[in-house]
Amino acid sequence: MTRDAVSPASMTGQWLWRAGKTLLSLPFAYAALVILMVVAYFMRPALLSPMLLLLILRQAAPLGIAVLGQSLCMRVLSLDLSIGGVIVGVSYILTSGLLPFSEPVLLLVAVAFGVAVGLLNAFFITRLRASSVIVTLAVTLVITGVAVALSQLRSPGEAPEILRQLVRLKIGIVPVVLVIWALLLLAVAIFIRRSVFGRYVDAIGANPRAAWVSGIPYVRVVSVVHVMSSLFAVFAGFLLIGFVGIGSMDLGRDLALNSLAAVILGGVTFGSGKGGVLGPTVAALMLTFSFNLLTSLGLGEPAKLMLQGIIIGVAAAAYSVQRNN
Amino acid sequence: MLDLARGSRRTGLSPIVLVLPVALFVLLYLSSGTFRSLENLANVNSQVAALMIASLGQGIVAISGGIDLSVGSVMSLTSAILVTADPAWGVPIALAMGAAVGLVNGFGVTLFKVHPLVMTLATMTFVQGVALLLHPVPGGEVPGYLRALAVSQVAGVPAAFFWCGAAILLAWHLLGRSRFGLRTYAVGANPVSAGRNGIAVTRLKVACFVLCSLSAVVAGIFLTARVGAGDATMGAPYSLDTVTAMALGGIQLAGGSGSVLGIVAGVLTLGLISNGMNLMGVSPFLRAAVTGALLLVAIGLQRREAIGA
Amino acid sequence: MISFDKVTKRFGSNLALSEVSIDCEAGTVHAITGENGAGKSTLMNLLAGVFSADGGEIRLRGEPISPERPADARRLGISTIFQELTLLPNLTIAENLFLGREPLRLGMVDRASMRRQAGSMIARLGSSLDVDAYCGDLSVADQHLVEIARGVSVDADVFIFDEPTAALNAPEVEKLGELLAALRASGKLVFYVSHRLDEIFRFCDRVSILKDGKHVETRPTQALTRDELVSLMVGRVLSKFFPPRPARPDGAPVALSVSGMRVREDSPQVSFELRSGEIVGLAGLEGQGQRNIIRALSGLEPVVGGKVTKGSETGPMPLGPDVVATARAGVGFVPEDRKTEGLYLPLSIDENITLGMLRRLPIWQLVKRRRDVIEELMGRLNVRSAGARQAVGELSGGNQQKVMIGRWLASGIDVLLLEEPTRGVDVGAKAEIYGLLREFANAGGAVLTVSSELLELLGLCDRILVVRRNEIVAELDGARAAEEEVMRYALMGRAEAGVHANA
Repeated sequence: MTRDAVSPASMTGQWLWRAGKTLLSLPFAYAALVILMVVAYFMRPALLSPMLLLLILRQAAPLGIAVLGQSLCMRVLSLDLSIGGVIVGVSYILTSGLLPFSEPVLLLVAVAFGVAVGLLNAFFITRLRASSVIVTLAVTLVITGVAVALSQLRSPGEAPEILRQLVRLKIGIVPVVLVIWALLLLAVAIFIRRSVFGRYVDAIGANPRAAWVSGIPYVRVVSVVHVMSSLFAVFAGFLLIGFVGIGSMDLGRDLALNSLAAVILGGVTFGSGKGGVLGPTVAALMLTFSFNLLTSLGLGEPAKLMLQGIIIGVAAAAYSVQRNN
Repeated sequence: MLDLARGSRRTGLSPIVLVLPVALFVLLYLSSGTFRSLENLANVNSQVAALMIASLGQGIVAISGGIDLSVGSVMSLTSAILVTADPAWGVPIALAMGAAVGLVNGFGVTLFKVHPLVMTLATMTFVQGVALLLHPVPGGEVPGYLRALAVSQVAGVPAAFFWCGAAILLAWHLLGRSRFGLRTYAVGANPVSAGRNGIAVTRLKVACFVLCSLSAVVAGIFLTARVGAGDATMGAPYSLDTVTAMALGGIQLAGGSGSVLGIVAGVLTLGLISNGMNLMGVSPFLRAAVTGALLLVAIGLQRREAIGA
Repeated sequence: MISFDKVTKRFGSNLALSEVSIDCEAGTVHAITGENGAGKSTLMNLLAGVFSADGGEIRLRGEPISPERPADARRLGISTIFQELTLLPNLTIAENLFLGREPLRLGMVDRASMRRQAGSMIARLGSSLDVDAYCGDLSVADQHLVEIARGVSVDADVFIFDEPTAALNAPEVEKLGELLAALRASGKLVFYVSHRLDEIFRFCDRVSILKDGKHVETRPTQALTRDELVSLMVGRVLSKFFPPRPARPDGAPVALSVSGMRVREDSPQVSFELRSGEIVGLAGLEGQGQRNIIRALSGLEPVVGGKVTKGSETGPMPLGPDVVATARAGVGFVPEDRKTEGLYLPLSIDENITLGMLRRLPIWQLVKRRRDVIEELMGRLNVRSAGARQAVGELSGGNQQKVMIGRWLASGIDVLLLEEPTRGVDVGAKAEIYGLLREFANAGGAVLTVSSELLELLGLCDRILVVRRNEIVAELDGARAAEEEVMRYALMGRAEAGVHANA
């Protein structure tokens, strides 16, 4: 496919061809969101009211933030299923009163906890070369086990006032939560696009073997990705805890799987070396919207799980087929 | 220490894999009077049986170079099916369901080339959803004959013992004596070379996943019958517990290495640790944490080539 | 028995075999020989069902055949002992020998009969290997032996041995000779692909020589001398597309110094120096250790002992088995297989090139899109593309190769290690790549390259180091060395080649 010159006459044709190709190569999330909205329009039009949409948007923020980390993991051919565990840990740190610190200090402790979990994951995944899925699931088991056991002794209590205030704040009609999400999204997008780190992430995703052979600092990049993912989980946890108002050991449990579904749906797959931040974000919105739709249709948890399963399986298979062709 | 942990090329067995369960048994036997009681020993056997049956299936998939995280959900759905379907049809339906899940996993991994972890995570989630849809609240009646098969005793030996024994014998025959077993080891070590030697790699891998799901169904039947009620989440811990048992039993998750003896040792180690903590009054939640830590250590000791998923 | 009739095979724009016609009779051991890349293995792979021919016909007992898979060939009675090993490391010798056709008894694998038969198969090769040993625990030589045992145990009429003795030692080669004689005596046709002259003369009845994908000659071995055979394998006019070699000033700084390095526990030491401004080639037959040397220098493979240092402004700095540190120190490595190890095919040209330029930057640093630099470089490389944003996977082989080399040129390194710098590249792009490498050297860089194309090394390099069995057996002046001289050292090693050269 070598084109030496492009004549002006074929320019428009080529532009159209490219535009069509781009549209077709858009992640499934976009089309799915549109379809869902159409379904909602006919079956539950109330969901499309600005008020409710804004609420759903706000509700999607924790998932949207967790997805930022998960998509980075997937792009370096790893996965982070410890997101739920991190949130449970954060929830216990912040609400149990076990640590006699002021609220800001507690938040810092939670952040440090996230960094520690990320480093632990990274150590097992890069240094001991253990499977990321198994490692992060095991880490979740450990964190939730300890947290729940501790909560038998000292149960989680009220959420820190800062967080409860934070999630209620609005600028005009726009909740501050959304602003925070948007800022994080923007920061990550720019950082990934413009930094050396982002280039390395692309390289590893496109061809891990080549990245290794050409001397890209593989281990460091993957480690940083896992720490970032855990940090995003901490932030997602902050918002969730603020929303609920009290600590709970069930908080954010489904975030790991949801984020995985969103990332796959958002067009990030193993080994493609592609995938933006926007696709997974739209997918996070789409998932949150679909859960609301399911609930409003009287379908609960089971339908949600089945949807997640189908999304992960079918999307992964479809992208895999697409790539192999 | 490291040398003790290094397993044989084919079986993955190392001294430490085999000594661990024996040492644990001796330790518990000497230190806890309750452990020594016949009731507790029978109890351990029952607790271990479901894990044993499911782990043998997981082991076959692991040796072929895959992994199956949907084991737990398949057990759960089995449980839901047994208490909702017509008593005569419960078992056949559950087995058919298991075969279907295995086929989906197998074809997803081979034909669609989805990573086994991602593929089985997807089926795990989906099947869990179906189980909850079918049987949202724990309870229900288990067919009487199943209950009898699971809890009765023959000459003082609890039924669980026979379930375990039959599963172990079958797995041992498959892996150690049959053509299928030898070829599974070959495919797990290097699918390309195995293919060059004329082995139908795709068919074999799919068969492994189907066997694994079917063993999960059997494990689910036993567990449901023993508990005496259906529970759509009863299998949830088993997905990771079977993987932990693999890792403790010296089965290389990269494929091509492992043995029935190793799986048995791994399951016993996990079961004894769990029972020991139970006797010591450790909170069940902390027990889960210890299982997780155990999994981390065991998996960390295995060496792989690739970094990532 | 087998006749090749105007058989042609191309790989992309590369003509690997061109109208090769050879007739081969049953009851003979037929050697196929020629230089690296002459087409020997390609010809045999057509017969073995690994590739299909693009033109011409292969006939078995007069019937045209076209095996599409190795299994097809086996069914036709053609058994191949491939050069690369296909044994399973976690299976025993007996299990490997019978994998895919295990004997059954009562529905179970009949281990007793399997072991018994395996034992006699191994004994036939004069080996006393334990058939219960795992193949992964065997030495490479023993693994080849098992591979051979499996190949000849197949009930076939045609046997292909592709470089079977590369890893064997003398007594085993002897046994192999007996085995070949036995096969010949029972009326089989044996193809023996090799460039080991003494084996060709000892074991084979006839020899076919290939050169550049063309059939040169087929003769009875008795009608040939060693020197005649060598001159049939080599001897061509040097092409004109190599850049001129500037005179090298004495005392150019040492760019890379290797002393006492061993690639394997039992291999000899390797020592040499690479100076700024020169292009040095590692020549030798396939699999003699050139590749291990260059991979060890790039930090990809560990070495046994020895010291590697890189010259720099601040004095010599040691290099270790660490790719990241080696790249950071200014040593770039271009692998042979650009698709799996070299390029990021889904990424664009500018992304691929930019990745090289980031080498020394901290990972959190923001980078500007250096449009101008990329455009300038792409101009210099003469990459033909639809623009810098085009995915590298869509480019032709030559342009991909230029991008891969360009990535290192843009990165400011001063030592470049290359494997097969022009594999799968058309002639025009080859000349351009040679020009780029010379330009890099003239600007003070140092180049070390491995190539299986001898002509390329002779035309491009200032010095040629000939590698045989993990050892450097000769150092030749690139401008003056003759093809036959290099081949002699590569084929026969130091002592024997010296004798022949003097004679």
